[in-house]
Amino acid sequence: MTATVANIDNSQIVTLVLTAVTLPFVAFLINFLLLQKSKVSGWVSTAAILCSAILAVKILIALWNQKPITAQFAWFQIGITRYYAGIWLNNLSVLMLALVPLIALPVHIYSTAYMKHDSGYGRYFTYLSLFCFSMMALVVMRSMLLMYAFWELVGFSSYLLIGFWYTRESAAAANKKAFIMNRIGDIGLLVAIMIIYAMFHTFNMDRIFGEAGLIRKSSINGLVWTTLFEHMSAYWQYVAAAGLFLAVAAKSAQFPLHTWLPDAMEGPTSVSALIHAATMVAAGVFLLGRFLPFFNGTELHILAIVGCLTAFMAATIALTQNDLKRILAYSTISQLGYMVMGIGIEAYPSALMHLVTHAFFKCLLFLVAGIVIHEMKHIKEENNLDIDPQDIRHMGGLRKKLPLTFLVTIIGALALIGLPLTSGYLSKDGILIHSFEWSEDNVNRFAFVPVMAVITTWITAFYVTRMVVKVFFGELQLLKSNPALSLHLTDGGLLYKLPLIFLALCSLFPLFSFNPLSYEHSWLFNGLASNFLVQKNNYHLFVPIIVGLGSVTTMYMAYLSYGKHKWAFPQGGFFNRLSSNEWYIDAFYSRVVVKGVLAFSCALYWFDKNIVDGLVHLLERIGLFLSRVSAWFDKYIVDGLLHTVAAIVEAIGNFARRFQNGKVQYYLYSMLLAVVIVFVLKLLIWS
Amino acid sequence: MNILTLLIFIPVVFGLIILVLPSSLRVTFKYITLLATFVQLCLGIKMYLDFKTGPSFAGISNINQYQFVQKLPWINLDLGGAGKLQIEYFIGVDGMSILLLVMTTLVMVVAAVASWEIKSNLKGFFALFLLLDMAVIGVFCALDFFLFYTFYELMLLPLYFLIGMWGGVRREYAAIKFFLYTLFGSVFMLLVMVGLYMSVKDPVTGSHTFNIIYMMNPKNYIDGSVFSVLANGSILGMPARTVGFVVLFIAFAIKVPVVPLHTWLPDAHVEAPTPVSIILAGVLLKIGGYGIIRICMGIFPEVAHNQAFWLGLLGVVSILYGAFNALAQRDLKRMIAYSSVSHMGFVLLGIASSTTEGISGAMMQMVSHGFLSTMLFFLVGVIYGRVHDRDIYNFRGLASLMPRYTVYVMVAFFASLGLPGFSAFVAEAFSLIGAFKSQTVNGLLPQWMAVCGSIGILLSASYFLWTLQRMFFGQMSLKGGEFWKIALTDLNIRETATLLPLALIALLLGVMPSLVFDKLNESVLAMVSFLSGK
Repeated sequence: MTATVANIDNSQIVTLVLTAVTLPFVAFLINFLLLQKSKVSGWVSTAAILCSAILAVKILIALWNQKPITAQFAWFQIGITRYYAGIWLNNLSVLMLALVPLIALPVHIYSTAYMKHDSGYGRYFTYLSLFCFSMMALVVMRSMLLMYAFWELVGFSSYLLIGFWYTRESAAAANKKAFIMNRIGDIGLLVAIMIIYAMFHTFNMDRIFGEAGLIRKSSINGLVWTTLFEHMSAYWQYVAAAGLFLAVAAKSAQFPLHTWLPDAMEGPTSVSALIHAATMVAAGVFLLGRFLPFFNGTELHILAIVGCLTAFMAATIALTQNDLKRILAYSTISQLGYMVMGIGIEAYPSALMHLVTHAFFKCLLFLVAGIVIHEMKHIKEENNLDIDPQDIRHMGGLRKKLPLTFLVTIIGALALIGLPLTSGYLSKDGILIHSFEWSEDNVNRFAFVPVMAVITTWITAFYVTRMVVKVFFGELQLLKSNPALSLHLTDGGLLYKLPLIFLALCSLFPLFSFNPLSYEHSWLFNGLASNFLVQKNNYHLFVPIIVGLGSVTTMYMAYLSYGKHKWAFPQGGFFNRLSSNEWYIDAFYSRVVVKGVLAFSCALYWFDKNIVDGLVHLLERIGLFLSRVSAWFDKYIVDGLLHTVAAIVEAIGNFARRFQNGKVQYYLYSMLLAVVIVFVLKLLIWS
Repeated sequence: MNILTLLIFIPVVFGLIILVLPSSLRVTFKYITLLATFVQLCLGIKMYLDFKTGPSFAGISNINQYQFVQKLPWINLDLGGAGKLQIEYFIGVDGMSILLLVMTTLVMVVAAVASWEIKSNLKGFFALFLLLDMAVIGVFCALDFFLFYTFYELMLLPLYFLIGMWGGVRREYAAIKFFLYTLFGSVFMLLVMVGLYMSVKDPVTGSHTFNIIYMMNPKNYIDGSVFSVLANGSILGMPARTVGFVVLFIAFAIKVPVVPLHTWLPDAHVEAPTPVSIILAGVLLKIGGYGIIRICMGIFPEVAHNQAFWLGLLGVVSILYGAFNALAQRDLKRMIAYSSVSHMGFVLLGIASSTTEGISGAMMQMVSHGFLSTMLFFLVGVIYGRVHDRDIYNFRGLASLMPRYTVYVMVAFFASLGLPGFSAFVAEAFSLIGAFKSQTVNGLLPQWMAVCGSIGILLSASYFLWTLQRMFFGQMSLKGGEFWKIALTDLNIRETATLLPLALIALLLGVMPSLVFDKLNESVLAMVSFLSGK
């Protein structure tokens, strides 16, 4: 391969990036080939991700708000077209490049303790390193084709990790579901890439979507979509946008392809923290960031509406779930909905900022959930109980037993709700404020979007409080049914504590902005917003106040309901059932879609066996029938004719034979007869 | 001695050795066969390395650009008034055939290793095996239609006996079905071949010729002959060249197989012993694809151009139809057989697009599928050889019992479903991209075909992963109970040594597709410009 680095000055940076990306891959190889059974594997992976993180932060500092850098290597050639493997570093990608190892590092450290007693320890870190490699490569890729490749590899490593405990039936079902649903999105992405490639003649994303990219020279006039090279029916632009939307919906768990994410919680909790909360699921939002110039106004509106709807739907489902991880999973879907909505309403910087802040606090909450579940499992095993360790109905009062865990949970929960002083406040408010402005710009045609978004924040406050109260406040519910329970609960060692403290600090405001109340002072926002016009108006005052007051109110209500038992939701009503059955979406899929496809495939197989192959058999039967007819014909007609002739000859012979009986008198008599006959005939005829 | 000739006839030499050796030495037969295929593999690799690339080695319609050529007069008869009968032993390779040739030599080694499971009548089996080996190699090398046809028909005889004598329960049914199906196609091919022979003359000697490359050039057609491009001759009221194309296409479509001519395949695969399944899926299906490119489209390019829509449509139908049928199977081998139908659909779709991307993707898919289907059938053979059962529902949780086996199954499944990093991804992606681009490049295929074809990728994920879930994950439970548990041992060294290179090649081709494309590019470019009539 010949290196053709576009920008020689930046070759050092490029080397750094490649090193950062390949380090986890090296760890993957070492673990895969040598350390499957060894406990060293954990430290190999952790060391690799630590180095990656350091390099990535260095790159972030060096390249933040600088001109984008591109570099590429010739990969292969088809016909006369060369295909390149390259990287495209702009603010978005260096940010993601730093975010992934920064989240992955605490998760790695945590995992070395969390997975310590698992027999698949080496396998776990092998998969984890593969994931980190794929994810980091995904965010820097320049070619759409390679981005697609890593997009799928990320899904593949997620498949491996969800099914990590492969002997569990539920895990085996969940990882299949996750991969297949992601495949639906992959196909959307592939179709979109095909269309874009056919129209722009290149896979290079910076050539198409970068500054002064080809996309700016394309237009839709009436029903024709024109670029510099080609023109096509405008219909295909919509198909490509729909394909991209499918890709986003599948990866980032948006309606209608979100149902794999709650099931994906079958994987180890540390995996859920890294992949299914912080990084992989954000890839869809990242994709939107890269392809943003591709979407036109209407398509963005649809995106906003779907995002808002998803956020609302997931929040309502989270209200009634009892599985700790499922609550967090739905809250992830809900927050991802905010991000997608943020992109849709063109609050691009806020949406991506929410991606970053969410990664930290959601990862934190999942790691906490891991500790809580770990301790519950401990109780279960120590006392031989038959309980689900993830069920929050068994928990309670853990505040005193796990003080540090409780403290960081509060920080994470406040960030998730979006109250001031946390990072979540900065990012979520940005989206909400912008949504009102956006609605105003669209003459309030979509006024329901900001309203729904605000209501969703209130619901979020409610279910987060419900979860925290049920887990940490009151008394341990298990003690009610088993008073003689022996309890040995701790926060765990440093390997547990350090990651939590690190993530909790990152969930507070100082990392993002020195002004705790204004997201517009955030370096992150300003870096991403350089191309976007920011308006100042009175929404900046009203929205935070409304959101904050509403959230505090619902939090108090939740506390009264679940902490003090002053009131309770009526059980068994329509809304209650709708929520606890997850809006019946999954039920619909498994009963209608999956069954339908299977029935269709069985019908096709029947068709294949009985009609297509039946035709062949029919031909065979016709052939056999014809051969029988011809055999009959041969036997009775052709041969029959022969036999008839033979029989006639035989009959004549038999008849004539009687004349040859050897008696002289008989011969004389017959001679006489013959002479007489001849004489008589002659007399009669000639006379 | 010409290396290509050597490559073709080495198996025969070894086959003769096996025939003359006494049966008391039958334990050595498998090693002799393995040695034969291994020598072939070495020759194949040497040819691959020696193969020259560049615009002057494109091949296709240019007779001087073929490599490793050998041309000997074979049958020359002076027919008096009817001219001279000129049949040549004419072999040579270009970018299209070299790859399939190398792939074939490797698949043959694997098939030879898989033959270890054969226990009865070893002499007959290995002699027929080597005869088959010769025939398939010959098909990829032949540049004379008569020679091609000879090799093509010669494949049928050993296959019939290999399936019919060493196969499963319904082996006679499967063997005769396979034989008649293929014969049905090739009998009509014979007629077209004779017609072409009567229509084409050698520009040098002036006599009629079977030379395929001469058949590609419209100038070599005799004025007024039935297949002449200018004469617009007709057969039974239909344009003669269209009839010729369709007849040849049907013959090769049966081999590919293209829906609805595929029903021999699941039966043949299910009944065939593992090595024969491997050859069937790995090599024989490729002969169909190769025949369509080299013969159908090479000799009748303008018909292929006009009928591209129907070819593409058949490709898409095969992709989806095969995939849905695979989803409905409960016999593991039958599922893989239907998945072959689906994957070969991409080949047809890519070829039909007549774009560089599409044809390159299709060729890549053939090479890739050659390795992957070999791996898949070998893997099925492993489990069938141990417990003589292949029903998906009779196994559960095999991952705990056979971890290494499971790893290879996962590699084969994920590679087949087009996971990036493996060869099938590049192949399928470019087949589809080519099919999509076709509308803007040459207007042959509508864009929806590529979009529908991509649904096949989704379905392949569904049936492979569902199988993984049902057979390999979950708590272990086997239909055969403890007895099976003991019988189902993990992969042994021989099996690992076979599977590992296949997995590595699939990976290597996925990461460095240039290994294929570099040899292929010039030929594809020549093919595309040839098809567009320039």
